Amino acid sequence: MIPMQHFLVLSGILFSLGVYGVLARRSAVLILMSVELMLQAVSINFIAFAVYLAPEAFVGLIFAVFVIVVAAAEVGLMLAIILRIFRNRATANVDEVDLMRW
Amino acid sequence: MGMGEAWLLAALPAGAFVILLLFGRYLPRRGDWLSIAAIGASFVLIFPVLADLLDKIDASGSLPVPGLSGWDWIEYAGFNLRLGFAVDQLTIVMLVVVSFVALMVQVYSVGYMKDDPHYGWFFTCMSLFAAAMLTLVLADNFLLLYIAWEGVGFCSYLLIGFWNEKRSAAEAAKKAFVTTRIGDVGLLIGIMMLWRATGTFDMRDTFEAAKAGVMSEPYLTTAVILMFAGAVGKSAQFPLHVWLPDAMEGPTPVSALIHAATMVVAGVYLVARTLPLFEAAHPAALDLVTGLGLVTVFMSATMGLVMTDVKRVVAYSTINSLGLMMVALGSGQVAAAMIYLFAHGFFKALLFLSSGSILHATEKGDVQELGGLWRKMPVTGTVFGIGVLAMAGIPPLSGFWAKDEIILSSSQHQNAFVYALMALSVFITGLYMARLFILTFTGEPRDRHAHEHAHDAPPVMTVPLILLAILAVVAGFVVFDQVGDALGFPGGIGKFVFLEEPEAFKFHGDVAAVSIIAALAGVLGAFYFWSGEARPAKAAGARFPAVYALWKNKYYMDDLYQALIDRVVLAFGRFIAWWDRNIVNDTGVDGSAALAVYSGFRLKFSQTGRLPNYAFAIILGVVALAIIAMIVFV
Repeated sequence: MIPMQHFLVLSGILFSLGVYGVLARRSAVLILMSVELMLQAVSINFIAFAVYLAPEAFVGLIFAVFVIVVAAAEVGLMLAIILRIFRNRATANVDEVDLMRW
Repeated sequence: MGMGEAWLLAALPAGAFVILLLFGRYLPRRGDWLSIAAIGASFVLIFPVLADLLDKIDASGSLPVPGLSGWDWIEYAGFNLRLGFAVDQLTIVMLVVVSFVALMVQVYSVGYMKDDPHYGWFFTCMSLFAAAMLTLVLADNFLLLYIAWEGVGFCSYLLIGFWNEKRSAAEAAKKAFVTTRIGDVGLLIGIMMLWRATGTFDMRDTFEAAKAGVMSEPYLTTAVILMFAGAVGKSAQFPLHVWLPDAMEGPTPVSALIHAATMVVAGVYLVARTLPLFEAAHPAALDLVTGLGLVTVFMSATMGLVMTDVKRVVAYSTINSLGLMMVALGSGQVAAAMIYLFAHGFFKALLFLSSGSILHATEKGDVQELGGLWRKMPVTGTVFGIGVLAMAGIPPLSGFWAKDEIILSSSQHQNAFVYALMALSVFITGLYMARLFILTFTGEPRDRHAHEHAHDAPPVMTVPLILLAILAVVAGFVVFDQVGDALGFPGGIGKFVFLEEPEAFKFHGDVAAVSIIAALAGVLGAFYFWSGEARPAKAAGARFPAVYALWKNKYYMDDLYQALIDRVVLAFGRFIAWWDRNIVNDTGVDGSAALAVYSGFRLKFSQTGRLPNYAFAIILGVVALAIIAMIVFV
């Protein structure tokens, strides 16, 4: 059986990739994809702990399902926002969007 | 109908009050008949209650357990408060005085208040007062008593300020309320102290606890002195007597009912009721009662000598009487105080109501504008004269027997100094009461115009006067055991009203002689001083201008209090206002808001509004938290 640490390392790598993506990318769509990566890393983490540490309990798996559902809803919302921004400013580059500035 | 239904006595006027308050304006005659019917029914219902009580006394042959009535009100975790009413002998005496005088005064008011625009409101307040006063008398626990106590104070405020479009009346109402409130705070603290030590508000349980020594003597003494402060305020004792003369701004029936016969004796009733506590406390508590009573007697009597407003003189005589009752209580003589209270209720209501008739007929209330009214108002003059003689203590009127009992108790239970002062006070009382009669009803009229229009009041006003006058004559005879036996009581009032052991009426010839001589000397002296042109009185006033000014200015007590209010209370108030405006409001409230606005203004320039900056900050924060978590938990 594959040891639990492998899954944790995988999830850590995925999460770090996501963080890097969020920080380094300038396209709003790519940032959104990086966020999804981070979320899925967390899901893997949950499932790994659930399977290895508490096989009888169902909690971790349910959590993962919830994360996926919430992420899907979030993607829909975020894409809609990005679309609106693109319509208004003709760009999806986050450096050029500073509407929240004083 | 027995003692179990005693709550009805208070509930009837309370019901009348509610109906008058809500629907009074739609009732015929503004509902005055409802108010009178309610208090009349309460008066009649006393008799079955009394019969029940007498049966119980006969059956047990000694002091019976009082008949209880009412319901549990609040029950919580061992704490039990009753909406409880109890009937015993003390209560009966108070009930008779309160409901009978209230009935007479309300009937009289039908005539006196006839054309007043707020006629209905007057009777509404009167009903509320009757309900509160009867509750006060019947209450079997301190908390209910306190509620009723504040209730009568509130009615007093409403009725003193009945003509509140008159500034002096509004001021007097405020003064009465605030002054009595000073005492009421003491009463409340006293009740709380007793409750804290005994865990009950019930009066009889509290008395038992005090007798059993549950409370330490200094603690109990403090508690009863604080309770006595409430009595000092309500019963207008020195130094809180200043409100009562001003309270005469209210309609005269109000003065008769509230500020003579009933509410002001609530303080006396309170002390009489809680006398077991006073006796269990340090003797200083009762000495304080006696001392303040004596001071009150003297100040009021001397001020009564120089005042010229008829109602004010009668008000000072009320304070004088209340002081006498306190002296009796200070000697531990509940029976003497209650006899006086009983008789006083009738003759003082009579004096006030007949002063009201004078005011009604002449629209003058100052003796300097009155005089020679007896010819014009024979009925009023006669009943007023009876009231004056009763107050002065001329035998065989009721005031004599009552006062004699008090003087006797002071001669037996106090030292010779107190006795001498009491005898002197009888003399002064005779002097100023007779003076009032002489200046008002005899001699030449000083205001021709008012005199010509003066006439006796209509029967609705004179009949209550005559009934009260009859009682002012005969009420004193209840001191005799023979009279009590004839009426079906176990002996005279002294044997009826007692706390520890029955006390027959005692008649000591020497004490009575002193009292009679003093009273007669006072009355005759008044004729020498004030009849005709009143030259001897004017000469005496000119001879001792300092004394005259002292009395005329009410011992400068009002000025003293006014100065105290101006210099201390208002100065403190100004400081508090300054503190509130500058420290609390400008610095605390406005300052913190301004700080938030300013810091927001400064901090907003640090915002870039760019997403990557915020994402970076979030990640830095998470990393920092992770590092802290590793340091702490690993």
